[in-house]
This record gives sequence, structure tokens and C-alpha cells, in this order.
Amino acid sequence: MKRAEYKVPGGKLLAAELGVEEGRLVGVKITGDFFMHPEAAIIDLEKALCDTPVEDLDDVVNRFFQDNDVTLFGVEAEDFVKVVRLALEP
Amino acid sequence: MKETWRLIDMRIEDAPTQMAIDEAIAMARLKENTPNTVRLYRWTPSAVSIGYFQSIEKEVNLPACEKYGVDVIRRITGGGAVYHDYNGEITYSLVAPEADPKMPADIMDSYELICGAIVNGLAGLGVDAEFKPVNDIVAGGKKISGNAQTRRHGVILQHGTILVDSDIRRMFQVLRVSDAKISDKLIQAVEDRVTNLRRYLGRPVDFDEARSALIKGFEDTFSVALEPGELTGAETRLVKQLHEKYSSREWVFQR
Repeated sequence: MKRAEYKVPGGKLLAAELGVEEGRLVGVKITGDFFMHPEAAIIDLEKALCDTPVEDLDDVVNRFFQDNDVTLFGVEAEDFVKVVRLALEP
Repeated sequence: MKETWRLIDMRIEDAPTQMAIDEAIAMARLKENTPNTVRLYRWTPSAVSIGYFQSIEKEVNLPACEKYGVDVIRRITGGGAVYHDYNGEITYSLVAPEADPKMPADIMDSYELICGAIVNGLAGLGVDAEFKPVNDIVAGGKKISGNAQTRRHGVILQHGTILVDSDIRRMFQVLRVSDAKISDKLIQAVEDRVTNLRRYLGRPVDFDEARSALIKGFEDTFSVALEPGELTGAETRLVKQLHEKYSSREWVFQR
């Protein structure tokens, strides 16, 4: 499993834990002290990321926040991309 | 005549019970037509609560909690880890419908309003505090209160901590703040960022004095009278069910 933390400047902490199998994300877990309304959306985001080809990461995250009525405090949609990318770094 | 809200005053309970009561009041508010409610409470044994999204392993020093008899619980609200020191901390919660004319629709505006009740209460004690977005209240530039809100069942639930005289050394034994060992140097750095009523005012503040000031802060901010009350039968039944969830390993260790 790969893990990375990203402290959003002036914001909250975000961490991602994940694996990669045949170029696809597996077992994605996002943690941190941010706020997401509704809270259960995090489970949907993790599900959306699982089995996503690594190169589609940006699209999947952007589409998730476009299609779902989710309010964030302390982090922004793009920070989820950033922390997953950090975790993917060798 | 002033609107009346229910006050559930200074119940001292364990962590699963406190979190179950907050959620039960939120669940019952519209379904059972219960009143808007403010709670003030303390935790026994002392406990660490972590935000809904936090990693328990990364945030909490579990062996230290075991050693010192400190409970660990996961909240339904986001935000960070809090050490609820039985001897040095008061927690509040507020439940009101999202559609209540006194509640702003915008989440951040409602944080500011509800935190304003704490700020006003602290002012009554002589503390010059202010709301610091996203979810903090600071006095003299140092954090004195952390707050977290969720919206579900058409209701706003916000709860938060007011540091009265917390044991900062113990706080940083049970929370994993950094890999660095807890040294006096680290505690000094923390003292630069975190304060409490006793330290800020330079005198001990007892729970009753803080409690009265906070009640007045809520009453003035929302132009209501807080009337002491108890949980309803329906709420008490919900507390029993929710207690099971909050005590379960599946809930506490879910991430």
C-alpha cells in the first residue's frame, strides 16, 4: 500500500492510502481533518476512485464533484487529486 | 415573549453515550417534533474524539489511551481530534432545523453564528475571543475552542469543545501530533497555539462559572430562553441503539 499526506496551505490535512494493480487504483482510503457535507460522500468518492485507471484520476475526481452536491471546507476538489498523485509517486 | 429552547445541562457520561445523545437529538428533532436543544456536557472517563474522516491509527496513540484509561471515539462530524479532559473541558452541542428562521442556510454562516454564541459566552468571562474560519475560536491568537457541524435529517448539529483547564501534557500523550517525542520544547510550541480559560484569564475558572456564561451566550445570541429539560422517551430509545454503534469496533476503527 502507498500512502501520502498533504497539508492544504491555510487549510486542513488530507491523506490517501491506496494500491495500484495493472495501472488501476485499488483500496483507496481518504482520511484527514477536513469537512465534507454530506459526510457519506467520502465513501462514494473512494468507490469512484477504485478501479480507476491512474491516467483518469483527474477526470474521475472532477466528474465526482461536478455530479454530486458536495460542500467542502479546508480542502478543495483538486486537493484530492494532489494527495492521490503524491501517494502514487515512487 | 421569548422563544424557549431546551437545555440539557451538564450531563456527565461516557464517550459513546455523549455522541449517541447528540445524534439522537438530531434524529428526533423533526420526526418527533422535539424542541431546539443546547447541551453542555463533560466526558467521563476522559476521551479522545476524532473527526469522521480521520485515521484512528494516525491520530491517536492507542497504547497511551489504554495506559491512562482514556476512551476513543469517532464522531459523525468532520474536523480534527479533540482531547475531552474530564477535569478541564466543556463540550456543547446545538440542534436546530436547517429551515429554522434563526439559522443561516449557508454552512459557514451558521458556523459563525453558532460559534458567536460561544464567543459571547466567553466575553462574559472576560475573554476577548473571535471566530476563526473554518471552525476555530481563538483568544489572544490561540485556539480556545474547536467546533464541528453536520447537517442530516433536515437538521443542523454542531458540537464543540471549550478548553477550561485541560492537561496539555496528557493531551499530547494521547494524540499523535508528530513523531517527535513529547518534549518540553514541543509542549512550549503547543502552548503558543492553544490556550484555555485558566491560562488566558490567569485564574482558575470553575465549571459552574463557565457553564453559566455559555448559557447566557446562547440565550443572547439567539434571543431565546434556555429551559432545563430531559431527553424524551423516543430520544432515550435512540440513545440506546446509537450507543451500540458508537461502542462498536466497526464504527470506531472504520478508517
